[in-house]
Amino acid sequence: MTDAGQLQLIEESFYARAVDWAKSAAGIAIITTILLAVVGSIDKGPYIIVNTLVTGGMWALMAVGLALVLGVMNLSNFAHGEYFMLGTLVAYYIITPMHESLFENYNPVLMLFAPVIAIFSAFFIVGFIGAVTDKLVFVPLRKRSKEQWMMNCFLVTIGLGQLLINGHQLIFGTVFKGVVGYWDVPSLSLAGVRISVDRMFAFCLAVVVIILFGLFMKYSRTGRAVRAVSQDEPGALMVGISVPRIHTFTLAVSCALAGLAGASLLFMFPSYPAVGVGPLYNSWFVIIVVGFGNVGGAIAGGFIIALIQVLTRVYLGEGWETVIPMLMLSAVLIFKPTGIFGAKVRGIWER
Amino acid sequence: MLEVESLNAGYGFLQVLWDVSLNVKNGEFVCIIGPNGAGKSTTLKSICGLVESEREAVKFNGEPIGGLPGDLVSRKGISYISETLNLFTGMTVEENLAMGAYIIREKDKIREHLDFVYELFPRLKERAKQYAGTLSGGERKMLAVARGMMSDPTLLLVDEPSLGLAPQLTASVFRALGALNERQGITILLVEQNVTKTLQVTSRGYVLEKGKIVLAGTSADMSNNDHVRKAYLGVEGTGS
Repeated sequence: MTDAGQLQLIEESFYARAVDWAKSAAGIAIITTILLAVVGSIDKGPYIIVNTLVTGGMWALMAVGLALVLGVMNLSNFAHGEYFMLGTLVAYYIITPMHESLFENYNPVLMLFAPVIAIFSAFFIVGFIGAVTDKLVFVPLRKRSKEQWMMNCFLVTIGLGQLLINGHQLIFGTVFKGVVGYWDVPSLSLAGVRISVDRMFAFCLAVVVIILFGLFMKYSRTGRAVRAVSQDEPGALMVGISVPRIHTFTLAVSCALAGLAGASLLFMFPSYPAVGVGPLYNSWFVIIVVGFGNVGGAIAGGFIIALIQVLTRVYLGEGWETVIPMLMLSAVLIFKPTGIFGAKVRGIWER
Repeated sequence: MLEVESLNAGYGFLQVLWDVSLNVKNGEFVCIIGPNGAGKSTTLKSICGLVESEREAVKFNGEPIGGLPGDLVSRKGISYISETLNLFTGMTVEENLAMGAYIIREKDKIREHLDFVYELFPRLKERAKQYAGTLSGGERKMLAVARGMMSDPTLLLVDEPSLGLAPQLTASVFRALGALNERQGITILLVEQNVTKTLQVTSRGYVLEKGKIVLAGTSADMSNNDHVRKAYLGVEGTGS
């Protein structure tokens, strides 16, 4: 066969696979999303795409964390939003003194890096809090009983969420603790649209973190161990992986991602006790719609949910913002209960 | 090498093993045979730490390991190949093998072991990039044995390798185990239902019934024993 013929064959098979993908539920969902975004942007201006990308990236980070603990530990974390809240809190208490001291003696370099320091401290501190949570709450729970694990987790995490919300209120009060913007610079102009540097940074950060996370899970020793535990726990023990340690690590990463999302969205979500509730529901929307424990799907799902919310806000008004995702959730549960991208958690209802 | 002394184990309120004692010496190929539900798999699981047991009940090279978590047991040089295989089905063959060598940190050694298992099972090399979940039954079994070998164990616990395999494939798995024992000097404790084949390859055996060891001896003696012949080999009458 000639080279050209071979090339044609490859092209044809690629074309066939693309058509197959486009006909699958995942393909339909992604193509519809992109079309909706384009149509919306033409109708109401490019802000729709910008807003979708900025918040979508962060919902993706939240949902990835949630899907990860669900897949690896079989843990339905209803306190995930509270780690978002902790992220905003940590970032606020780091950025404010820095901004104040910088206001007195101005230093452009520090001014540039202060928000980055605040956001990454939030990542590590909230990750550490996540590890402590596992040691204090879930390790004893797992030791005590393996029966009714899902139900126990549901109740325990709801309690944990209440504890963190009220703890915040008790110690830091109910005032909104937020910043107007991380960087006091004029917004960028991109193709006629003005985008604030904060939003730009939030989106880029989400993309970079998601890519790094993907590489970590695929190639690193620990990342592989995390996947091994999610696929077969006894098997993981048999090859010498310390499963409890991987559980702690997984919850830490998941919480760190939520904290990172909270910290980088501080300019949109000022820190107050219940700030995490909205993001929590959003990330649950995402993982139910895409399928439980599907980490890859959660990334696409984050953007889908963000777009739907942005469109609802623009066309139907603020009040409908949670109604439409709820409708979509109901539709998915009725017509495709495993989610658009298929569930990756095995036996979640059997345990 | 491995000493099990009056091991009592079970699941929750259900006790399965009653005073099981057995020992395996360095370089031996020992089998445990017995009917369904006798506790053969439970014995292996309590040795490798997947089922709770008393600390002193299991000793490996003189060191008590009963009830240690599974990951610590496997770090001591015991590889367990379970009945259900417990492969990582969402990973490729190559990644599964890499996970098998999780406890080894030197890259050269991992490479060396990988070459060794590919030589043992050339079929796996052809399938290196394929997901473990897409392999056939025989290939999965090979992969499980290969993954168990990646950590360079001194003791291999093998649970029913013939389960669900065609006779031809069973023979090839047994041949591979025999080669590992003879050429590599790896000690093997095998649990099997296929008594005829098992007694041909192993040197010594135990019969486990209703959670108790009822018979022990060399494989040759066992295949001539009346009880074994009647219950497991389906042959009436006395042996020669």
